[in-house]
Amino acid sequence: MEDKATRTITMCLRNLFRRRTRTFLCVFGIALATMLIVTIGATTSRYISIIKEMHTYFSGKVVVVTKGAIVIEAFPIGIGNLPQTMAEKVKQNVHEVKNAVPMLFIYNLEGAVEALPTNFTIGIPCGNWSVLVGPTPLKPGGHWPSADSSENEVVVGFSLSDQYNLTAGSKIRIRGYDLAVVGVLDTSSAFLSRSMIMSLELVQEIYGYNMLINLVVVEPMEGVREEELADRIEEKIENIKALTEEERTELSQPLISNIETWTLGIRTALFILSMIFVTTVAMINISERRRDFATLDAIGAPKSFIFKMVITETGLMGLFGGVAGILLGSVAAILLASFYTGIPISLFFPGIFDITPPYLMLQILVSTIAVSCIAGVIPSIAAARMNITEVLRAEY
Amino acid sequence: MRIKTEDLTRKFRVGSSEITAVNRVNLEVNEAKFIAIVGPSGSGKSTLLSLIGLNDHPTYGKIFIDDTDASLLSGRERRKIRLSRIGFVFQTFNLLPTLTALENVELPMALAGKPQKEQREKAVRLLKNVGLGDRLSHRPRELSIGEMQRVAIARALANDPEVIIADEPTGELDSKTAKEIIGLLFDINRKLKTTVIVATHDEKIVEVADTLCTIGDGKLKVEH
Repeated sequence: MEDKATRTITMCLRNLFRRRTRTFLCVFGIALATMLIVTIGATTSRYISIIKEMHTYFSGKVVVVTKGAIVIEAFPIGIGNLPQTMAEKVKQNVHEVKNAVPMLFIYNLEGAVEALPTNFTIGIPCGNWSVLVGPTPLKPGGHWPSADSSENEVVVGFSLSDQYNLTAGSKIRIRGYDLAVVGVLDTSSAFLSRSMIMSLELVQEIYGYNMLINLVVVEPMEGVREEELADRIEEKIENIKALTEEERTELSQPLISNIETWTLGIRTALFILSMIFVTTVAMINISERRRDFATLDAIGAPKSFIFKMVITETGLMGLFGGVAGILLGSVAAILLASFYTGIPISLFFPGIFDITPPYLMLQILVSTIAVSCIAGVIPSIAAARMNITEVLRAEY
Repeated sequence: MRIKTEDLTRKFRVGSSEITAVNRVNLEVNEAKFIAIVGPSGSGKSTLLSLIGLNDHPTYGKIFIDDTDASLLSGRERRKIRLSRIGFVFQTFNLLPTLTALENVELPMALAGKPQKEQREKAVRLLKNVGLGDRLSHRPRELSIGEMQRVAIARALANDPEVIIADEPTGELDSKTAKEIIGLLFDINRKLKTTVIVATHDEKIVEVADTLCTIGDGKLKVEH
């Protein structure tokens, strides 16, 4: 059985190799399509995972933003500030509030292409760090910024520390301000890895947000439901939106759905193109090998043998094109991510599987092989149904 | 294997006209005979061989294989007979170009499900018998025309067929090589008791044949 399979595969490989230019062009075409699928898939899945990861922040809490602010999960990305007093106002006016923490969340686009941030700056009143980072620890030797310190202290994410070679004790300069790195977040979170966390006052000073914030994280009292608290806040305070966890998810869902729909559409179109390409090449191949198929038929080869042979050939082209495409696509996804974010390519390579997850690679490889095999069905049937008398008579 | 035809007829439609390639042929082929079918090009020799070799279906008339009406056989049964009981030799050899001489000979045995070791041993032996013991790993394009036809004959013998059907086996060969191939087919017939049916123009084949048939306009006549 194994020997039969090996023999068939060897025979198919030789058939492909015999028409090496055509095979190479076909494999190259599949590889290009697969590369695009992987690049688009890896890029979108990375951003979707970041958006989804943002959902894990402020779980069970209500986020207050200004009316009209565009929010992705918990974080406002559009214009719309609130006075810093808003946190106090919420606490005073709504009895169901246990705690309200003001925050200033800034996307730093400098150095990045278009609207993708190179990093995030987050200002939080000293001592309230856990509201954002939860139990995330700092790397050994670090500490959180202290309100009493005379220095401008900042904690940076792991990816930033790697990129700029920062450790506790390093100095950095942002918009003319000298900052002292006092800690590095030990986390694999894509969002926190690219974050700089400092005191609210410092962020306001650096970015010119005088007594302004853009979100308040509100914790309900025990026994109070999020929905109930959000309604109460919106009742008592004008021109704000109080978003529960569910509402925040709903807000980002259309964005995620759009990205997923477009990705699926592009992927389908590319697979169809590959399929047409493989079918065309396989049809040309079998029309050139009519005599071979007729001979096989004449000497008694089962139709299933001929069918399997053609399918195996197209499947092998899919396998080679798929593997090449995945390799090229993974590299292209890294180049693209580096281009958009300004993060050096070398920093992406150790985490190649973070950019293009193995499940995505496997999924695309299996799909490419399956698509190639499906593309081989029509040529296989054509080869198996070939009228041997007509083919052989042509040479009598 | 005995082959018998009754009013065997095969018509083809070419455009609006109908051509009768084989016309009411009655032929009986007994075991271990060497039969030559001669006739000019387009006389219906190849069509007749195609029908006898179960590669084609008659328009009407019957073919009996050991008293079994071939029209009652399923596609799978016809295929099985072609694979295990009939060997084919074509004018243009029809070797698979991507396989070596050895693999071309092994192929029918592999299709018949014989063990790999047996395939290899037998293919080597057959190729040695046709004088190609030193050409085992050569691809068809690396062989001379005569050598290719020898490989084709070895392939035809792979599953120990009872009948070899050869369609103009010397048509592409020079006279010296043609003589060698005729000698080979004659030896197979005499030593292995394999029936050989040859469509040919070659007079040398006619000389060695037990039965000579002539065909013209699809009609067959048994000469001796």
